[in-house]
Amino acid sequence: MTRIIDHAILGKLDSLKKVSFQFNGKSYEAYEHETVAAALLANGIRQLRVHEESGTPRGIYCNIGHCMECRVTVNHQPNVRACLTKVEEGMTIESGRRHPTPLKKTEGLQ
Amino acid sequence: MTDLIVIGSGPAGLAGAIAAAGTGLRVTVVDEFIRPGGRLLGQLHQEPSGEWWNGIKEAEKLQHEAHALGINIRCGVSVYNIETAEAGWKVYTNEGVLEAPFVLIATGAAEYPIPVPGWTLPGVMSIGAAQVMTNVHRVQAGRKGIIIGANILAFAILNELQLAGIKVDRVVLPEKNAVSRQAGEPEAVIRSLLNAAHLAPSALLRFGSRLMKNETIRNIGTRFYPKNGLKINGTPLQLRKAAVEIIGTEQVEGVRTVDIDAYGHVIPGTDRLYEADFVCIAGGLYPLAELAAVAGCPFEYIPELGGHVPRHSETMATPLPGLFVAGNITGIESGKVAMAQGTAAGLSIAKQAGKQAAASGRQLEQAIEHVRTIRQQVAIQFHPDIELGRSQMNEQWKAHEGTSVQPGEKIG
Amino acid sequence: MIENKQLIICRCEEVTYEQLQSTARQHTCSARELKLRTRAGMGFCGGRTCRIALDAIMDSFIPDENKAVIPLKYQPPIRPVSFGTVGGRHD
Ligand SMILES: Cc1cc2nc3c(=O)[nH]c(=O)nc-3n(C[C@H](O)[C@H](O)[C@H](O)COP(=O)(O)OP(=O)(O)OC[C@H]3O[C@@H](n4cnc5c(N)ncnc54)[C@H](O)[C@@H]3O)c2cc1C
Ligand code: FES
Repeated sequence: MTRIIDHAILGKLDSLKKVSFQFNGKSYEAYEHETVAAALLANGIRQLRVHEESGTPRGIYCNIGHCMECRVTVNHQPNVRACLTKVEEGMTIESGRRHPTPLKKTEGLQ
Repeated sequence: MTDLIVIGSGPAGLAGAIAAAGTGLRVTVVDEFIRPGGRLLGQLHQEPSGEWWNGIKEAEKLQHEAHALGINIRCGVSVYNIETAEAGWKVYTNEGVLEAPFVLIATGAAEYPIPVPGWTLPGVMSIGAAQVMTNVHRVQAGRKGIIIGANILAFAILNELQLAGIKVDRVVLPEKNAVSRQAGEPEAVIRSLLNAAHLAPSALLRFGSRLMKNETIRNIGTRFYPKNGLKINGTPLQLRKAAVEIIGTEQVEGVRTVDIDAYGHVIPGTDRLYEADFVCIAGGLYPLAELAAVAGCPFEYIPELGGHVPRHSETMATPLPGLFVAGNITGIESGKVAMAQGTAAGLSIAKQAGKQAAASGRQLEQAIEHVRTIRQQVAIQFHPDIELGRSQMNEQWKAHEGTSVQPGEKIG
Repeated sequence: MIENKQLIICRCEEVTYEQLQSTARQHTCSARELKLRTRAGMGFCGGRTCRIALDAIMDSFIPDENKAVIPLKYQPPIRPVSFGTVGGRHD
């Protein structure tokens, strides 16, 4: 998706230093200080993970840390919110995977 | 050593920190976002005076003031629990435990959705998500979007997307159901938009003036609402269309709509499919009060404030010793009100901490008065009956004054 | 009423309107019990996303529950914590 470099009211984007990072084994470029979610969207990537049980694709929903939909594994740490995490040079990011044996949802109190 | 921990660096938290630090208290602010400012950061609208309200600038001003006072602002820090300690409160974060006699919870609001079939697809986001992506991160949410839901936040953000050169194809209503309720009824939507139109930003103003205030004419207005909608800066506002499904396999490809009557009933045989690569759902805002709940604070249910709100006084105190609240956690209002509430909270805390500057004089009373004044002046008001909600809370506070509450006693 | 019964209400646990409706009918249960049975609002986000929608639905099934009580309890941790962090609070 296009970046908004020049904005009528907000002005020009400064600090355009680039960093590179990996997402699911592929290299991408980001601007320093931007979030993983913003960097991936700027690279045209909306899908951040799949639902652990059903495997349905998921991306950002709230963009401010509330919904947990954007959770990814960052430098081997799982469940990190892409919308709150700044990209860093050399960062490796992985999508979560679908659980191999999807737990069947059982009805009843646990 | 810290005297006050502020949770949330939005307008309320920062203003509270600044007021408290101004009297000599040592203040630490924590926030999980990448930079200070909270939801102020995404805000960009033209005031009725023609001046621009640029949230990023406002946040920077507050940040500089805070730094000048030696306030420690820590971003990227999430608070996951809060408990009473021997002298005050323990605040648990992903970077360790903080302890202080006073805590100000200023965690703001969260958005609630109106679920639409297909809303888990990548490319579907809350309207606020699009605001943050556009104005804070400066990445376009997509090439062509559809907004589902017509409320004041949706219009403010529609304007912001347009300013950033993002095409919003149309605004439609959610289908009327048990969740959307009045948000799915054109008649009710027009009524609520008109309520806001006299004070709202430019686009809405122009829109509002084209509809009539008289009840019967308004009813006719909704019935004969132009089929293709009225245009807001080129984007049709189609109050007589409802989104029934968001289409796509890997990500959003479009939205299926049906035509509806003035009360939200579906008109059969009117299915249409509109292409889009992103969809924004505009449900509404509610106070994000989870930490107050975990701390054991009693709550009141006041719809005018946005739902469940921690019980608090006009001095922003909760019934729990040393625990204060300010901003949208106390009720959904605009950033300026949150800021004024923060100042009142900071002074109130300083007074309790025995700081001379706040204890003597009329600073605190003036700050409380200022909250009321700002409330009457602001350009954006989320609930028309906000004053009623505020006075209900004050009554509840007075009714319970003197009854002791055990901190840590879980409610819910 | 919701026409499309397959509509997901709780995204985290993928609980549909139909599941909520049939569980409510079958067990004539309270809002709290309905959540425990279906796990709606009890997933990764702790109900932050669907809480209000869920309350509206519960309200349409069981209109007269006490509003002053928060229907879905908040339980710490309210944010994800790495194992190390949670362990750290005890030392
Ligand atoms: C998405 C969205 C868009 C909005 N747009 C507008 C608008 O255009 N115009 C307008 O007038 N009002 C808008 N509002 C209303 C807005 O809430 C107020 O204007 C104002 O920002 C509220 O200030 P606050 O200080 O109470 O909270 P906020 O500004 O929301 O700040 C709260 C801060 O607390 C932090 N936080 C929350 N929980 C935790 C935790 N557990 N640990 C650490 N940090 C935490 C958050 O990261 C956030 O930075 C919007 C609200 C939202 C949610
Ligand atoms: S998108 Fe909601 S938590 Fe990141």
